[in-house]
Amino acid sequence: MKKTIFRLFSALLAFTLLAGCRAVPPAEASQDKNSVTVVMPPTSEPEAGFDPIHGWGAGEHVHEPLIQSTLTVTNPDLTIGYDLATGMEAGEDGLTWTVTIREGVKFTDGTDLTATDVAFTYNAARDASSVTDLTMLDYAEAVDDTTVVFHLTRPFSIWPYTMATLGIVPEDTYDPATYGSSPIGSGRYKLRQWDRGQQVILEYNTDYYGDLPRMEQVTILFMEEDAAFLAVQAGQADLAYTSAPYADQTVDGFSLLSVKTVDNRGINLPTNVTSFSAVRSGNVFIGDSRMVRQAINLGIDRQAMIDNVLNGWGTPAYSVCDGLPWYSSVNEVECDREKAAALLDAAGWLPGAGGIREKEGIQAQLTIHYTAGDSVRQGLAAELANQLGELGIKANIKGVGWDTAYDDALSNPLVWGWGAHTPMELYNIYHTAPGSDSAQYSPYSNTKVDELMDAALACTDLEKSYALWQQAQEEIANDVPWVWLVNADHLYWVRNGLQVAQQKVHPHGHGWSIVNNVDQWEWNS
Amino acid sequence: MRGNRRKTTLLLLIFAAGVLCALSLTGELLAETASAADFSRKNLPPCPACPFGTDWMGRDMLARTLAGLSLSLRVGALTAAASGAVALVLGTAAAALGGWADALISWVIDLVMGVPHILLIILISLACGRGFWGVTAGVALTHWTSLARLVRGEVLQLKETPWLRMSRRLGVSRSALLRNHLLPHLLPQFLTGVILQFPHAILHEASVTFLGFGLPPEQPATGIILEESMAYLTTGRWWLALFPGLSLVLLVVLFALIGERLRLLLSPAAAQE
Repeated sequence: MKKTIFRLFSALLAFTLLAGCRAVPPAEASQDKNSVTVVMPPTSEPEAGFDPIHGWGAGEHVHEPLIQSTLTVTNPDLTIGYDLATGMEAGEDGLTWTVTIREGVKFTDGTDLTATDVAFTYNAARDASSVTDLTMLDYAEAVDDTTVVFHLTRPFSIWPYTMATLGIVPEDTYDPATYGSSPIGSGRYKLRQWDRGQQVILEYNTDYYGDLPRMEQVTILFMEEDAAFLAVQAGQADLAYTSAPYADQTVDGFSLLSVKTVDNRGINLPTNVTSFSAVRSGNVFIGDSRMVRQAINLGIDRQAMIDNVLNGWGTPAYSVCDGLPWYSSVNEVECDREKAAALLDAAGWLPGAGGIREKEGIQAQLTIHYTAGDSVRQGLAAELANQLGELGIKANIKGVGWDTAYDDALSNPLVWGWGAHTPMELYNIYHTAPGSDSAQYSPYSNTKVDELMDAALACTDLEKSYALWQQAQEEIANDVPWVWLVNADHLYWVRNGLQVAQQKVHPHGHGWSIVNNVDQWEWNS
Repeated sequence: MRGNRRKTTLLLLIFAAGVLCALSLTGELLAETASAADFSRKNLPPCPACPFGTDWMGRDMLARTLAGLSLSLRVGALTAAASGAVALVLGTAAAALGGWADALISWVIDLVMGVPHILLIILISLACGRGFWGVTAGVALTHWTSLARLVRGEVLQLKETPWLRMSRRLGVSRSALLRNHLLPHLLPQFLTGVILQFPHAILHEASVTFLGFGLPPEQPATGIILEESMAYLTTGRWWLALFPGLSLVLLVVLFALIGERLRLLLSPAAAQE
């Protein structure tokens, strides 16, 4: 009798356990013609909600805010186009920008969007000092209903790129406490539902001033990579992000979409490492001579890296901004191990015991740091170490957390990921940081580069400023303070029949970029 | 020929000890191989050349597993020794001194036992800067309590035995008392306790590392191996988790076995059965 009860109980337990696995009702994929379900990584869920003043759409993983409209937009070729703006002009001294805006734009609460709302948004975002960099903004003022003037503290020719990231909020009803979870904008979509940690449902804005979105409802689910893959296998999503290790799988009814990116990975080579601690850690080697860094840049086979680590899903990276309007092809190099070896010889690093080069008794070695838990960066670090070994450089790899990585990078190479839709990234990486004697993320300083970049920012003509950014890169190409490795393709599983509209080159971050133009997606009939 | 149980037990112990020594040695020798990435042979399922397969960076999983277990053994040995020493000192002190010392030590034991092990290990490991020494400190400082309590109980009990009280009356010196009467009775319990710390220590090392608070990711530790394998399970790379996980379980079982046998062998009550 006891045994029977025990058995019954176990069966019940097993059943409830299994049932537990299904407790969360699967979000049914949208077979409905005008809706789509998209899976993104959990990190894409905006912590502060959908509030542009507190970082929605901006920052490291820049994307269009969808719920709000921006003044400008970036075109597919990353030049500047207009959204709310109808014209813009920089003042003679580059310290003012006058922007005229569209008439007749309404927020989803029915009120009109005027220049005062624009001025309010910019001033509030400047004061909030979130990830949107508005340190160059003195103040914004509305001259009349359709004209806004931005007063800057320093010339900033790439202001139009800043205007492409900040969504406009209504001044009258904006409340920082509630806006993030119940946003009101004038964009293509409005937020219908947000279940934190699970999903976001966007519904199209029927009062939108532009072409009406073809996709009427967009559901976004947040899942880890393996869960996203399972969701695709179960048919619970129409489009889901994935990565190279999954790309050789096949899923019935889905195909793989690969999007080109400037989501690059590269290492910094600290140029000022000469201290005793650096000798002990071996990194004195990097700072010894620019020839050493040039040799590393020349001696690595980027295609082999792509094949080995990304299973072929990527393109070689030669800069932080490959293919963007301000990119200079002077950065491009072919892998040439002989020339690299000659450079190392010329710098005095000669082959020594065990095939490792030496100079004055010091071995040519370095330790490549990568952020723990990121398998792509770990793989790149290992592959790079293997390739450097062929040049006679002993490279070790070490996993670190972001809590220490920034400090580590001041004396060690670290595998970084960058890629943004603004030339400001070049400035942040290479320009000497204000109040310090070297650049922000890795020790490097070159007055010529600083001058060219300052000139580019002071330029009143955006088109002309591109040439100055390019000249700065020519200068940098000689010093090689960073070695760029690969641009990782962004991969997605897409349900057959879903037409994903043409994507512009994706920036860093594998999240919201894909839905930048979700309003133009279509289902094949 | 059928040996008696004493003999078979002894043989088994020698065998197990041999396995462990060989394991820690090979692991040490394979440390270099275990982290060498070779992208020309990535994602291989188990085959004659790589019996445990390879991972996404082409690293040999057999070498990684062995190196991981050897690392675990080192953590286990260090923590067992450290926590054993702490337990012996505090346990005997509590029992021998009595009074407020006993109260204080018992209170500390209760305190440490009151906090969940894994939480305390994570905190100590983080405070000590993670890595090998962080994990070792974390595990060592949390695992002495039950053994200390055991030692205290044993000593208290022995103190009141007739032969000990008799010897004391007859004027036997303290050191002789300790040597001839206390230690022989204490030793089996204590040694068994120390050996049984091993599986605990190894499992805790692996779990803390698995959670990302332990050994650094470039080290081939069992926790790291299992953590990395998680991402590949949905794509059917079962060998990444199965063999290392199984090996970890076998190692733990082996230690449990040694501990049990040792107790039977050393304990005065069971030795002659």
